[in-house]
Amino acid sequence: MNFDWSVVWRNADALVEGTKLTILLAVTTMAIAIPGGIVLALMRLSGVRALSAASASFVELFRNLPLILVIYTAYYVMPVATGLSLPPIITGIVALALNVSAYNSETFRAGIASIRQGQSDAAFALGMSRWQATYEIVLPQAVRRVLPVLASTWVSLFKDTSLVSVISVGELAFTSMRIRSQTFRVLEMLTAMALIYWMLGYPQAKFVDWLNRRFGISE
Amino acid sequence: MELDFSPVLDSAQFLLHGLELTLALSALSMLCSLAAGGAIGLARCYGPQWLRWPLVFYIDSMRSIPVFVVLVWTYFALPIVTGVVLPPFWAALVALSAHIAAYVAEIVRAGVSSIRPGQTRAAFALGMSRAQTIREIVLPQALVRMLPAFGSILSITIKDTAIAAVIAVPEYMNRSQTVAGQSFHPIEIFMVAMVVYFLILFPVTRIVDMVYVRLAHLGRS
Repeated sequence: MNFDWSVVWRNADALVEGTKLTILLAVTTMAIAIPGGIVLALMRLSGVRALSAASASFVELFRNLPLILVIYTAYYVMPVATGLSLPPIITGIVALALNVSAYNSETFRAGIASIRQGQSDAAFALGMSRWQATYEIVLPQAVRRVLPVLASTWVSLFKDTSLVSVISVGELAFTSMRIRSQTFRVLEMLTAMALIYWMLGYPQAKFVDWLNRRFGISE
Repeated sequence: MELDFSPVLDSAQFLLHGLELTLALSALSMLCSLAAGGAIGLARCYGPQWLRWPLVFYIDSMRSIPVFVVLVWTYFALPIVTGVVLPPFWAALVALSAHIAAYVAEIVRAGVSSIRPGQTRAAFALGMSRAQTIREIVLPQALVRMLPAFGSILSITIKDTAIAAVIAVPEYMNRSQTVAGQSFHPIEIFMVAMVVYFLILFPVTRIVDMVYVRLAHLGRS
């Protein structure tokens, strides 16, 4: 066995570009999925039957499908449905956003539902307006409960962006796999890919643990 | 848009074999993850001090690497290191188990540490040994509390087996791709795949929740 690790340095620029795209994918998806999740959660809690059922079906559907299947389906369905030939990165973001919005919606719903009715009742009793009760009593408490869950979803999303490589979005996984097949330095490139994900993901996982200790609710 | 589902029916046998493999890979991965993750989690809680940091390092590393990366590394790179070439199915089983075991270990740790120390102290006060306390007092309560989390792990495992399609495990996702490529009806094939996965995954979460509601009182202390 002889290994040639220089292949990693020679392709460092491509790997950096891939890493940037991975981060961009995660940031863009989250930027869509947070408002998306809020809208879905509000629909679910609206009390309007049709809205609530539509939101529940959407959430249950996307929470119960493998993401890789959603990505492939989006890849084939979106050009037919929209009549446009969309670049794979758009398809990838749509698939990721559908998935993460469903998870975020459940996070927000649970966060709001976890604040007891008594909290807003007490605020009203103190003479607060509805607006004051929501913004000064309910939301600050809900945010503390939502934040750690949102952070875990972010870490999952960051890892899940690797799946859009199957529709040739040139992010970190795709770039590493491409260099691997061009240079035949399989072990070197795949190990480099794993290490880059590890370097980016490890601090995130540790940060989420810290958030959970800091804000988490214990019995 | 005209939908034509005949390619699905034409390849029904082929797809069903894929579905069998999906279920087999899910079941085996779940069993191996539970065994390995249970051992890692318990060793982290009760094992010798020197063993703890390598276990924590393993758990946190697996939690920070995408399962896709673990799968392709196990299939393409591991044979170069070990000299042993695993067929795709077994490579997928090893990779999925190694990955999911880390999550199981975290659940075991959280479950065990959620049992109040008073329980252990009471057991010691009654003259129980350490092993007896763990086996008869802590674990029975902790297991019930871990149940919902194991339910989500089962559903995650089934979803992750679809990623094994990228290393050519001929499971349902992979076979759907094959049929989609041959029949020129990818939309119908993938729509059917969505229905199939949903019909497997939706009841899993529901059944686990139902079982938990029945058993939740046993985990209270």
